[in-house]
Amino acid sequence: MIFGLVDNALLSLVKVAIPASTVVVLCALGIMLAERVGVLNLGQEGLIGIGAVYAVIAATDWGVGSPWISMLVGMVAAATAGAIFAVVVVVFRANQVLAGLALAIGGIGLSNQLGVNRNGTPIRTLFAEINPGGRFTSNAFLETFFFHDPVVYVAYILLPAAFWFLLFRTRHGMNMKAVGENPASADAAGVNVTWARIGYSVAGASLAGAGGAYMVLSFTPMWAPDIARGRGWVALAVVIFGAWRPFRVVAGALLYGTMISLGMTAQARNWNLPFLGPRDLSFFLSMIPYLVTIVAILIPAGAARFGRRVRSTSAPAGLAVPYSREER
Amino acid sequence: MTEGSAGPALEARGISKSFGGISALDGVDFDLIQGEVHALLGENGAGKTTLSNVLAGLYRADAGEVLVDGSPREFRTPSQAIAAGIGMVHQHFRLVEPMTVAENLHLGWEDTPKVCTRRGLAARARRFMDEIGLHVDPTAYIWQLSVGEQQRVEILRVLARGARILILDEPTAVLTAQETTELFDVLRRLVNGGRSVVFISHKLKEVLDVSDRITVLRRGVKELTRPTEGATIPELALLMTGESDEINVTHRKVDGKVALEISKVTARNDRDLIALREVDLSVREGEILGIAGVSGNGQTELAEVLAGMRMADHGSVHVGGQDLTNASARVVIDHGVGHIPEDRIGMGMVLPASVEDNAVLRHYRRDEFSTGIGLDRGAVTAFAERLVNVARVQTRSLDATVGELSGGNQQRLIAHREAAVADRVMIASQPTRGLDVLAAQEVQSTLLDLRDGGCAILLISDDLDEILLMSDRVAVMYEGKIVGVFDSADADRDKIGILMGGHQDASSLR
Amino acid sequence: MRSFRLERQLDLDPRRAALCRVAGALCALVLSALVLAVTGRNPAWILWQALDAIFSRQRGIEGVVLRAIPILMTALAVALSLRLRIWNIGSDGQFLAGAFAAVGVGINLNAPGWVMLLAMAAAGTLAGAVWILIPALARAYWGVNEIITTLLLNFVAVQLCAWAALGFWRDEGAWAIQSTEAIKDTLPKIPGTESLTIALLFPLVIAGVLWWVFRSTRAGYEIDMIGGNPKAAAFAGINVPRRVVAVMLVTGAIAGLGGMIQLAGSPGAQQLSAGFSAQYGLSGFIVAAIAAGSFLGLVVAGFLIAAMFFAGLVLQTRGLSVYIILALYGIILIGVAVGEMAARYRLVRAESEVVARRST
Repeated sequence: MIFGLVDNALLSLVKVAIPASTVVVLCALGIMLAERVGVLNLGQEGLIGIGAVYAVIAATDWGVGSPWISMLVGMVAAATAGAIFAVVVVVFRANQVLAGLALAIGGIGLSNQLGVNRNGTPIRTLFAEINPGGRFTSNAFLETFFFHDPVVYVAYILLPAAFWFLLFRTRHGMNMKAVGENPASADAAGVNVTWARIGYSVAGASLAGAGGAYMVLSFTPMWAPDIARGRGWVALAVVIFGAWRPFRVVAGALLYGTMISLGMTAQARNWNLPFLGPRDLSFFLSMIPYLVTIVAILIPAGAARFGRRVRSTSAPAGLAVPYSREER
Repeated sequence: MTEGSAGPALEARGISKSFGGISALDGVDFDLIQGEVHALLGENGAGKTTLSNVLAGLYRADAGEVLVDGSPREFRTPSQAIAAGIGMVHQHFRLVEPMTVAENLHLGWEDTPKVCTRRGLAARARRFMDEIGLHVDPTAYIWQLSVGEQQRVEILRVLARGARILILDEPTAVLTAQETTELFDVLRRLVNGGRSVVFISHKLKEVLDVSDRITVLRRGVKELTRPTEGATIPELALLMTGESDEINVTHRKVDGKVALEISKVTARNDRDLIALREVDLSVREGEILGIAGVSGNGQTELAEVLAGMRMADHGSVHVGGQDLTNASARVVIDHGVGHIPEDRIGMGMVLPASVEDNAVLRHYRRDEFSTGIGLDRGAVTAFAERLVNVARVQTRSLDATVGELSGGNQQRLIAHREAAVADRVMIASQPTRGLDVLAAQEVQSTLLDLRDGGCAILLISDDLDEILLMSDRVAVMYEGKIVGVFDSADADRDKIGILMGGHQDASSLR
Repeated sequence: MRSFRLERQLDLDPRRAALCRVAGALCALVLSALVLAVTGRNPAWILWQALDAIFSRQRGIEGVVLRAIPILMTALAVALSLRLRIWNIGSDGQFLAGAFAAVGVGINLNAPGWVMLLAMAAAGTLAGAVWILIPALARAYWGVNEIITTLLLNFVAVQLCAWAALGFWRDEGAWAIQSTEAIKDTLPKIPGTESLTIALLFPLVIAGVLWWVFRSTRAGYEIDMIGGNPKAAAFAGINVPRRVVAVMLVTGAIAGLGGMIQLAGSPGAQQLSAGFSAQYGLSGFIVAAIAAGSFLGLVVAGFLIAAMFFAGLVLQTRGLSVYIILALYGIILIGVAVGEMAARYRLVRAESEVVARRST
């Protein structure tokens, strides 16, 4: 009986968490792609904002009927910003940290500015949830996983599978990993480092934009300032936690989302702990995801110091280092 | 050696290249006949690597042209050179360490199947290795391989792309004697199969052993091209260095106090493998003890232990009678131990900092510069000025960053700085590596002056000539052990060479 | 025929680098002015309005100075960590932690005025240092990237302050703004001004002290050496991890102190509310990035950025939104990053004719 209660509570948590974390999943997958070739883009908050605001613009101002097209618009906008970043950082070899922060700040400013008259205007063209019907509706467990909108399935299953295949089963993926680990060696082997880095940066940026667009086209169907609310930063941490491997990154993002959802549920259901009332508990729980993420980042580093160094969990060796062929 | 068709397989005419205003190559001509091993000889900085990088498409020449089989080609990327059949094996391997041998072989290669697995790639790699006759475990990660094996992977990689022309940059710098012999066999086999090899080196004896023709470069200019047959070492050495005078060194048998005592020191390297096995050494005041051996036999780790940068698992180190075993770098400096590090750029200097800042880097704590928490910048500047004058460091000002200085000037700075630090003991680790002759001689003079002043000097060098020239006693290091110690009078080049290669003594060879 | 080529310089003349950064920022501003003009706003008018708002009355100048104080404190914190080549993105969180601790002491302790102020300052400084402790240790001893760790703690700090403001320290009496109770002790005012307190002295004094540290002390020299090449610094006998942690703690302490003086030194800000921080950390970071090591430059840049910020706030009433300021910040930062890179290159002429040379 109690087991059933706990079970249901956990399942409903996960059910809420899945769409909410989709933003982080998409963003984190994009970051993973870019970091695999050695580019660190800290501007995720800005990219999410840009993707979201342009999706809103497309859906309301331009009257686009299909949420997919609106999302595409958001992706293109974010990709453009990402392309500028990529050129500044790969061709001009500017400092990646500075440029990324500039993108974050500038992107937030730009998107907030563009969204200034659209606060709260509801968006009607949303992604529709799938209804498999029949047997699926009776089982709580199945209900948790099978009634989401299509983007969820793309983000949680299709994309990670595709990226896994790309990175670990194709020649192209192998070449890209080499670019991230040792751009000089990849260059000497004939791989075009510049285009690889620019291409994957733009792809990563468009995924962040997709995340932002998805948010306003599903569970938060309106614009609000600072719409990313820190999810871009969390995505950066999730990629480290997931050791740059697609499915682990997705798992990390879902874990994070579950913790957030825990916080929200605690508030909604007025849960109580001995010392913490419902409101206190929700604040406390809202801090937990970040603290847990920090611990999650510290663990592999600490383990590396005390035990054997496990190669497959460390960052691409060439991350955030600009590459130039003629540098002596 | 088989004569090829009419023209040379590879030709370079009038190549010039400069970096940041400094000329590396000036109007160099070079040609390679099919089926020959052509050695490119010169000291460090002569331009050999630069020329080969131009041939391999990594650098674009400022002037001149490159011809392959008679037709001029312009290589804007390395892959264009690869497509033309030119493959380069670099001194610093272009391998990706966290990937396997098979993956490295297939990197950036059009023939690699678009969809592949590690096992599939390993099988393809094995088939190819059988064809060529060169083998390395295709499933091993690069970081697991020995240096000789890694080099073999590089060669295989280049051959797999269909290279008819191989350029090898200082291939024996990191090989043992045995591995060098194996390499020469491989080269002969490849050349007999119709390929051509450019063999870059600064080692005269090897060049005479393996090549058919020799081209000598000096300071970015071609001095000479001639057939190997009939060439002599003194003649080539003269062309390489441009001058034949050496410094005059008198060796002595010293029996003063022991200034540095290393006793049964055992230590591990970065890969957690044992690098030093119960090393016993002692150096007296006023003596130079040279450690001979091919790089990679524990010399680096020994120097790091003595500098306080690496922990020894067992054993002890005494300086002037005091126990400094596993002391911190700071304590080591305070006890007057100077250290010219092997890694000049990574460890010896702070590149973005000024000449002045680097001049006092190791002894800024001394009373002449520090009072309380303050640093007397005036005293620092004065010292730096004196040092720059005495050491003849060419720099535009004391404020210039050391990154601007040439390697020779950087080393002059470091050598004199460490001389100021060294009261009793000096550890000089590969002090003349990569330097032009003039700078090398000046560094050697500095060390000799220190010796004459009563300092005990431990000289580590993979240049046997330098060891024999400078040392009062010679120790040989092989695989972390001291395998022989000689007085300079008894130091015989052949005997030492054998020990360096790991053989116990001459008699055991028959 | 001569062609041009970009050649990378090996050195970096600091004066040239500074000029290039400033030039980069200016170019970026000009570019954004063009963009503004294209989208139908008049940049010259905006600039005039901004200057008018600031300089036409005392309240304008004081407003800029008030904004400059917290920005300078966080900027100093970031600038100090940048000397180590360490990126402290968490100055916001340390600032908030300092304010949190100061409020805690301020409303729960009872003592004479100056004791209270000292206690709050101590609490704020300590809290800021504590807030950076884990990232500092992780970076110094385990090599963990400080960007993510300090950043995540920002969010924790925001939640903590919101919790205090709406939860355990909530001012039950206040009906409009949700915040903690107000502290009773504030810093003394500067005579002759409407709203400035001696809080202004703190960033100026700290900037002066840091300038002196890097000019004339051993510690400053060691910090620069660590930033330039940690391995060489270790070779020089410096205990790098210990020094890194110590400096980072000071960094956090400065930011935390900034939080305290913001609390006790700005009019009407004597309580902690959910919106206390208002992106001072971000602005501070931009100032530190532009200043690139010069403490004088930092002070100047700090006032300039504060002026931009203030103008953005004031111009809200005249039809401009604050978000443009953020966008401008981003553009300036990109300009600085590109400028910094541009400083390393110079145009060089290349001969493209083949000249016959001697061949032996």
